[in-house]
Amino acid sequence: MIWLTWRQFRAQAITAAAALAAFAILLAATGPHLASLYSTSKITSCHGLACQPAANAFFGQLAGLDTVVYLLGIGVILVAPAIIGIFWGAPLIARELETRTFNLAWTQGVTRAQWLAVKLALTGLAAMAVTEALSLIYSWWADPISKAIGVSNSGPQLFSQGQFSSVIFASHGITPLGYAAFAFALGTAAGALIRRALPAMAITLAIFAAVQLAMPLLVRPHLVSPSHTTTSIYASDLVYGSLTADVVPGHPSAWILSSQALNAAGETVTTIPAACDNANPSGEKGGTSAITPAQCMQSRGYREAISYVPTSRYWSLQWVETGIFLALALALAYFSVWRLGRRRI
Amino acid sequence: MSAVIEADRLGKRYRRQWALSDCTLSIPAGHVVGLVGPNGAGKTTLLNLAVGLLAPDAGTIEVLGGIPAAGRAELSRVGFLAQDSPAYAGLSVADHLELGAHLNRGWDAGLARGRVERLDLDPRQKAGTLSGGQRAQLALTLAIAKRPELLILDEPVASLDPLARREFLQDLMEAAAEQELSVVLSSHLIADLERVCDYLIVLVGSRVRVAGPVEELLATHHRLSGPRRDPATLPDGLEVISASHTDVQTTLLARTSGPVLDPAWTVSQVGLEDLVLAYMSQGAGRRRRDNHHLEVQK
Repeated sequence: MIWLTWRQFRAQAITAAAALAAFAILLAATGPHLASLYSTSKITSCHGLACQPAANAFFGQLAGLDTVVYLLGIGVILVAPAIIGIFWGAPLIARELETRTFNLAWTQGVTRAQWLAVKLALTGLAAMAVTEALSLIYSWWADPISKAIGVSNSGPQLFSQGQFSSVIFASHGITPLGYAAFAFALGTAAGALIRRALPAMAITLAIFAAVQLAMPLLVRPHLVSPSHTTTSIYASDLVYGSLTADVVPGHPSAWILSSQALNAAGETVTTIPAACDNANPSGEKGGTSAITPAQCMQSRGYREAISYVPTSRYWSLQWVETGIFLALALALAYFSVWRLGRRRI
Repeated sequence: MSAVIEADRLGKRYRRQWALSDCTLSIPAGHVVGLVGPNGAGKTTLLNLAVGLLAPDAGTIEVLGGIPAAGRAELSRVGFLAQDSPAYAGLSVADHLELGAHLNRGWDAGLARGRVERLDLDPRQKAGTLSGGQRAQLALTLAIAKRPELLILDEPVASLDPLARREFLQDLMEAAAEQELSVVLSSHLIADLERVCDYLIVLVGSRVRVAGPVEELLATHHRLSGPRRDPATLPDGLEVISASHTDVQTTLLARTSGPVLDPAWTVSQVGLEDLVLAYMSQGAGRRRRDNHHLEVQK
């Protein structure tokens, strides 16, 4: 069965290996330049407030190619599981049914449960390996940018996405591995159910895209227990006239789940009090002649209550999310085996 | 005589449509059995149930004393050649043999190689570019080289040209004789069945209309023609399968238990094709009545 799996998977495996190699070459060619820019920047030796300008200077030095590769890499890692689900998963059973070769495959001396188990295991492992390899290579390449983003509270628009932002979280660490397993098992199950490759591919893409949208918006915020703090409304505010926290003081890279302003009595406020609203119409923070709304509110005893995920919980969040997707993948794989075992071709 | 396939009130449903229902039959070992019937009689469904590609929705089926495709042991004892002999278009002839070798414990590599050489198949040729006849031969090679006890073929020659058909059946006969295989093949081409089968089952509307060794069937069925008369006045021991009347003459195809002694009848031999067609048209009449019955039930 291992032989047959490999023989039928060979062309796809070669394609995947070629794509992976091309990706690795692109990153290997541009990576050293990026690393040397970082090591010669002031980020490595900066302290406190000096880090923000150092990081901005580093971002300013990045060439157009670096930016393109930075975005392209994220795109490739996010799209790879979908492609795997569509082209490896969906046809796995559906193609056998369409070409009627199941007549051949399932009447040899191997039960169809074994047939499917070996195919799912080997192809699924390949799917996880390829996607995780993409992610690891990319994490190595983007490491200087990630570090610079980590020390700067707000970089230029492109480089403002911290490790907890939707796309960064989904393209780093071990989550890509979970997505790949899930997408592959999803495609296989869709193929087993719909029995035609093309519609199964479309359904796979639709479901996978929906899950990838729902995950960061609806599910991920509930996966780890957040920390709570009530802190200075001034220190947590980076933008004029905002009552929501932009940063957790003392935890610059933490993921803010929710925040609200409290008045001196501890009651939630939803509008900036009139006395502070026009404190500094220009919005410039830290001016000498006027104070910002946040400073004004600070002086009147306002505080900011923040619920957040500190960076120390980054890996537990990664593990929990990956675990969920691996469990979903196993459930879908089990469903496919069960479906095939019902013998309704 | 043991049975290779034993079905008891076997049924298979697609959604709400029964493709096979209440099918009871026993196929003896050691024969080349022809399964013949009109389209929709349930032949393919029955054979798919026998190789375990389908699971029954009603009744039971046993193949070589076990549940079809229950495990590796059951799978390895039965060889199957599906309609149109599907093969992996992108895999070469050699790849297919390799597939057989990896997926079957009892694989006879020498036999497979020998057959491919004798059939003049190019091992490097992709199955997708083989002719229909060559693909059927390749599929037969796979089914035989796993060394089964029972070989099941579903319409193996339906899509082949007459020459390829003859070669394929010749080859099948030789292999069956050499390996002492029990063979069950379905076909609606009675001439082909006549050439290879020594046992015949006529299946109409899921029911066995007649089953038995070909020689016995031919010996007990006769065409009787004589002056027109009411079928009710026929002598005992005569089972009329089909009857046709003209103004003056009655022609019967009948099963007889002994010699027909009435000198009014002219008795002649009946060919297998006429025999089968008589049973099939008899079944068609019954089936119409069955359908009518169902309508009333609704």
